[in-house]
Amino acid sequence: MSDRFKIGLLLFPALSIIVVLFFGGLLVGLMRSFNYMPVIGLTQPDLSAYVSVFTDKEFYLSFLLTFHIAFTSTVISCILAVAAALLLRRQFIGRAVVNFLFQLNLTVPHLVGAIGILYLFSQSGSFARLAAEWGMIAGPSDFPALVFDPYAIGIILQYVWKEVPFIGVIVLANMQSIGEDYESVARSLGASRWQAFRHVLLPLIFPGMLSASVMVFAFTFGAYEIPAILGANYPAALPVLAYRHYTDVDLAARPEAMAMAIIIALLSAVMIYFYVRFSRQRVRS
Amino acid sequence: MNKTLKWAFLASSLSLAPLAVSADTADGESLIGKSWEDITAMARGGEVNWFLWGGSDNINQYVSEYIGGILKEDYDIKLNRVGLSDTVEAVNIVLGEKESGVMDKGSVDMIWINGENFRTMKQGGLAYCGYTDTLPNNKLVNWDNPAIANDFGVPVDGCEVPWSKAQFAFAYDTARTETPPRSIGELIDWAKANPGKFTYPAPPDFNGSVFVRHVFYHAAGGVDNLLGDFDQAKFDEVAEKTWAILNDLEPSLWREGKTYPTSIAAMEQLYANSEVDLTFNYEPAGVGLNIENGVFPPTTQGYGLTDGTIGNTNYTIIPFNSPNKAAALVLQNVLLSGEAQLQKALPDVWGTKAAIEVSRTSDDIQAKFAAIKTHPNVAPAAELAKAALPELQASWISAIEKGWIENVGN
Amino acid sequence: MQRNGSLLGSSFRFLTGALLITWLVLPLIPLAIWSFAKGWFYPSLLPKMWSLKAWKYAFSDTSGVLDSLWLTIGISLAATFLSVLVGVPAGRALGMYQFKGKSAVELLILAPMIVPGIAVVLGIHSVFISMGLTNSVPGVILVHLIPTIPYMVLVMAGIFANYDPAFESQARSLGASAPKTFWYVTLPAIMPGIIVGGLFAFLVSWSQYILTLLIGGGRVVTLPLLLFNFATSGRNDITGAIGMIYILPGIIILILTAKHLSGRSGAVGGFGQI
Repeated sequence: MSDRFKIGLLLFPALSIIVVLFFGGLLVGLMRSFNYMPVIGLTQPDLSAYVSVFTDKEFYLSFLLTFHIAFTSTVISCILAVAAALLLRRQFIGRAVVNFLFQLNLTVPHLVGAIGILYLFSQSGSFARLAAEWGMIAGPSDFPALVFDPYAIGIILQYVWKEVPFIGVIVLANMQSIGEDYESVARSLGASRWQAFRHVLLPLIFPGMLSASVMVFAFTFGAYEIPAILGANYPAALPVLAYRHYTDVDLAARPEAMAMAIIIALLSAVMIYFYVRFSRQRVRS
Repeated sequence: MNKTLKWAFLASSLSLAPLAVSADTADGESLIGKSWEDITAMARGGEVNWFLWGGSDNINQYVSEYIGGILKEDYDIKLNRVGLSDTVEAVNIVLGEKESGVMDKGSVDMIWINGENFRTMKQGGLAYCGYTDTLPNNKLVNWDNPAIANDFGVPVDGCEVPWSKAQFAFAYDTARTETPPRSIGELIDWAKANPGKFTYPAPPDFNGSVFVRHVFYHAAGGVDNLLGDFDQAKFDEVAEKTWAILNDLEPSLWREGKTYPTSIAAMEQLYANSEVDLTFNYEPAGVGLNIENGVFPPTTQGYGLTDGTIGNTNYTIIPFNSPNKAAALVLQNVLLSGEAQLQKALPDVWGTKAAIEVSRTSDDIQAKFAAIKTHPNVAPAAELAKAALPELQASWISAIEKGWIENVGN
Repeated sequence: MQRNGSLLGSSFRFLTGALLITWLVLPLIPLAIWSFAKGWFYPSLLPKMWSLKAWKYAFSDTSGVLDSLWLTIGISLAATFLSVLVGVPAGRALGMYQFKGKSAVELLILAPMIVPGIAVVLGIHSVFISMGLTNSVPGVILVHLIPTIPYMVLVMAGIFANYDPAFESQARSLGASAPKTFWYVTLPAIMPGIIVGGLFAFLVSWSQYILTLLIGGGRVVTLPLLLFNFATSGRNDITGAIGMIYILPGIIILILTAKHLSGRSGAVGGFGQI
């Protein structure tokens, strides 16, 4: 059996499922976004769905909001995750507990986290009640708006809560397999703590951190249920907007939903491409 | 987890997939005019998939336990209650199936529906129609009542069967508010005098939309001018006034009107936690259930408006491609029975108003209806009935919702 | 000085650790309290009345929570099992061989991790309707494979990159059959990867909402769908109870597999391999 044949055979099942389902789904979405579907008698492709998406003000606001959510959540999660991993590789009282909770958090679905954040941070939630108890606010409206808010703070809090452990577990695994020898060498050669981290450890853990944060960015850009629970009604995050259009009883809105789906796919691919390029450059420089 | 257990799970999950249905009764035409005995015989041993909003445990319990129990025991039919967070999801399934050419193996056998969703179903040819006379309990329905024969102004034409009646009502907390506003005009003044203490869910939320219609009626100086087919000129005139009122009100709303709750449930949470001081609902009985379930403070009191509140009827509909039409007919007939309507009207079950003509039921049922003691905190039906306003036609409603989103919501 | 510094350092670590613990647990606390509360309004810090009603409802036949629990477990196990089945060979190909077009294949397989599910599920929905796969458990399992397979392949590629195939050839040269070699040599060596990849695949499937909602059409009611229904209808007590039930299986599975997730296992490092 030749290697080529063997490789083909090994890859065939996974590739065929991904190609048929994932790329098939994308292709059908693409066709329908152009109003092209010969099976149901649509044989004249047109751009009307894209025209109506690109002339809708909410679409642009929605894109900006979604980008802000994904970008801010990813950056904050990344920084906190590296800090947490640095903490966790040292011995201290309670380390086992933090370690366990980190992993435990991985198993808690986003939806549960979103509901928890809602109960904690709404203007009448647990923190507002604490503030009222301590006389810091006179009523719910004095408490800052952290959910259903225009800056999507609640959504970002939920992502940070959930993604710090995700990135943290991966980065910690990287750190532990690298060990501390390189840093010790750098320190003995006179590097400061920060220098040892910035020029020795960070480049080493960078690939793992980058791939984890790409996954986080992609997820936070495309998730539906979290902005659906914690988001303001206007503008809605892109996935919520796409879903609303798809389930609009007006059939004409469906190609628009498909067009948005295609735009989401393209945008996330493009943004991740630039994110990866940009951050690789930054670390190498 | 060991392998055997894993396989057992796999097998059990796969076996839950829909298999061939025992008795396919997708051909609705052939059922019309058949004797009721024949229809129940065809339905026996089958199943029926009823899609309805699933966010109330009381309604879920009534449907699954009471109605499901009758179907199982008396007709050997399995009722699958399919909970939705929005009725439009079910309409969409039928729509998608029709688009893909699924003409007789649909997955939806019945939907709890009214208004815009009904219009979509009827106009899109998605409804099974013309069968109502086949149901024995159809005689309890007063089809001469225009509020029954028209669903949000769209003639029912035998495409759905009424289930309950509802009338919009407000509620306030007697511990927080002494005298609540009792008309739309008073409400607007009250909201301005109490900044941050009022809001409404953003249309197209069902309840937010009906609140905006109340303001629309108020701006039009009454509903009489608005009844009938959609009139663009009249709409533009009234809409301009309505948006002016609502935009003027906006800075006095919760969070200065910069955002609106996305659903009625979100607004009820705001009300329960003193973020806002008023709430409302198209189902006035909800106040009673919400108090009993600990969702609302026990000092909540429902009430109606002196210039009237909008009432509607809600229905059950059978999609054109339902494969279990006989069972769906049996289910509709059970729902219409005096016993089931009575059970639904009991305040600790649900407390919603019967859609049948109670005077046409047996003396025993009538006596029991008369003996119902409504929850003391629910807006009294008599008070609401004194000033009931009709719904507009669905085309008006979608124009108002669109206009609100364009002129007020953003 | 040195001593002092390390004492300062360890108390700093202890404090940040405590802060981290609080933050990680915090969002789950109000959910747990709500599940036993009857009415819990601002400004009460704790409910004034307690009740088991939500739990009674959650365990009643009507609510369908338990049916839903078994169904969700079944779907996630099936999706995990299928992902392992196709992910292990693909991971072997990507981890052990260099071949022309490898980076293209990697991109193809990893694409679903980068492109959000909502972007493809709308198209899949149209296709599944005509194939009769909507509203069915097999349809939902199939669509869950889209996000689960890439995780599995990724972890396995990481494992196979550090795997020495010489043991296999030794076993074969000693007369072991191919299945025997796989069972006694390959499988034990790659088991940590299967466990970690499987755990991730399970959790990814376990938390799917929008894919299940669209493809399952409301007929395949997994726990997240039930939870979303109640969370958006304001029944915080029932939401709390279902939420607690929803997180339990993940915790149990984690406890069973925790040692493989620790930093010293190479499997987690697989995520660094893109």
